[in-house]
Amino acid sequence: MSVVVIGLSHRSAPVELRERFAFVESRIPDALQQLRDAGLITEGVVLSTCNRVEIYAATAFAPDDAFFARVKQFFIAHHAYDGKLGDELYTFAEPHSLQHLFKVAAGLDSMVIGETEIFGQLKKAYDLAFSHKHTGARLNKAFQRAFNVAKHIRTATNIQRGSVSVMSAAVELAEKIFSTLAEHEVLVIGAGETSEKTARALQSRGVKKITVTNRSPERAQTLAVELGAGAGTVPFEQWPEVFERIDIAVSSTAATSHILDRAKLEPLMRRRRNRPLLLIDIAVPRDIDPAVSELDNVYLYNVDDLKAIADEYLKLRHEELDRCNEIIAGKVAALLAANNHSAAGAS
Amino acid sequence: MAWFTDRNCFLLAVTFYGLSTIYSVFLWRKGFRRDDWANYLLLAGGVALHTFAMLKRGLTLHSCPVNNLYEATTFLLWALGLASLVYALLPKFKFICAFAAPVLFTVGVFALMPSLDPPHGPKPEFSGALRSLHAATILQAYGAFGLAAVAAVMFLVQQHDLKFHKLRALLSFLPSIQRLEVITTRLVVVGFILLTIGLVAGSQLPRKDGASYFADAKVIWSALLWLIYLEMLVAHKFFGRPARRFALGVIVAFTFLLLTFGITNHFSVLHN
Repeated sequence: MSVVVIGLSHRSAPVELRERFAFVESRIPDALQQLRDAGLITEGVVLSTCNRVEIYAATAFAPDDAFFARVKQFFIAHHAYDGKLGDELYTFAEPHSLQHLFKVAAGLDSMVIGETEIFGQLKKAYDLAFSHKHTGARLNKAFQRAFNVAKHIRTATNIQRGSVSVMSAAVELAEKIFSTLAEHEVLVIGAGETSEKTARALQSRGVKKITVTNRSPERAQTLAVELGAGAGTVPFEQWPEVFERIDIAVSSTAATSHILDRAKLEPLMRRRRNRPLLLIDIAVPRDIDPAVSELDNVYLYNVDDLKAIADEYLKLRHEELDRCNEIIAGKVAALLAANNHSAAGAS
Repeated sequence: MAWFTDRNCFLLAVTFYGLSTIYSVFLWRKGFRRDDWANYLLLAGGVALHTFAMLKRGLTLHSCPVNNLYEATTFLLWALGLASLVYALLPKFKFICAFAAPVLFTVGVFALMPSLDPPHGPKPEFSGALRSLHAATILQAYGAFGLAAVAAVMFLVQQHDLKFHKLRALLSFLPSIQRLEVITTRLVVVGFILLTIGLVAGSQLPRKDGASYFADAKVIWSALLWLIYLEMLVAHKFFGRPARRFALGVIVAFTFLLLTFGITNHFSVLHN
């Protein structure tokens, strides 16, 4: 009995094809039952997300081309697909199947390397198969080991360290300047989508008070309502007046020239008694004159700075891949050795 | 066991501080990216030996070991080392050990100079509860100022990295600059209070005939220090002096303290 994988992912297939082969969650137990009834597999788990559709299975058949051709056929027939299919559908036999499972669990095969969402999705897929009794000793062991390896990689390496999006980089910066974000008020200048996302990211890390300002007061009001309790508005002409109480400003207006420069900020900083001020300028063209960063206690980051941080983090994650693969190779070897040992014991 | 004198014990402690300093250089070069206990343990080993050395000397003298420049310096360093270990237990503060170790090592080597530790007479010159209180609080105050300077260095490193968009600011396991500023300020306040108590206690000590407390070089120097720290605290807390300038001031003041601490003793009638 060995573990095999068949499927397609963002690496092998475009989104149109991934959509076509996606499994509806409610139909997954039936699909697995059909595979088992056909005698192709003895255990199975279906993982279906926006980035991958995969079947993990334990089979008594030798995982050769003929076997995979039959499973592929089922895959295609189940989705009533009549188009052409080339290398989009991949297959793995042991030990590569286990290595793939461990990599997926640790987020190493994800679009954003090291992301953790896939871990939850894989766990959910396994729980679904387990609750319908489609898993047995082989897959239970493999999945439990995969979850443990993913946790180990998370703690022993830097694969999940840092922010890989502009918004989360902004939040991380705020946390490096201020002890706790709950006590600090944020001013959002410009009620666009990027401002909203950054404000929400800050809210998710504890920010309680947000003031929104926009040339169109209606849009400011709409965003404030969407941000919920603790969010208010201030007329666009009056936003410098709230600088005394805010500590973080996120600016994303469509202005063609700087709306905040050194001459304007200097007296405001004096009124703030030189408390640290984080300015996040995500507008293009920029809203804030770079010269303001020469002022004491002013920390200015524009969209390029934040992008550079996110890119650096991504680079660091890629640098960690070798370490992660090394860990996985060791864990897979250990699992296979344990399986061989128990198989020898049983015979 | 004859080799295991209090001075040799302190020598071992300084060796540990030296090892910790070397390790700190590596941590610094790696950008303080990993939460590290090794340096904490090295420093803890040094502080343990340091405590033992002071205990040995104190038991021999039957009084608080603050009778000469060697003892005063080791007491100051002990306060600094112990406080560093306590602060290092706060979240993200473990690397304070890496910043404190170089200070402990360099000043420790200085303290080991034989001329700073002349042999005691049959009785220690410095005895009595009030004298011990005076010396201990003042040296603890210097320890607090030392640790404030260490936290101020951490602040300046983080602040510089954040200001100039260095990724190291985000990758390092260092606290937020606001927290470092708060810790620095609190340590200066603690040091200032201890220094005030120490100076008041000193003014109550019996003096030789004709010796004036307020005309003594060491007292004038201490009063100057007191004023320097008072000015820094008032300017920062009540007049909005920027945190960077405050941190720089704390570092400069402690450097001045370290460099002039020994010299002023030579000009002091009351302390000779």
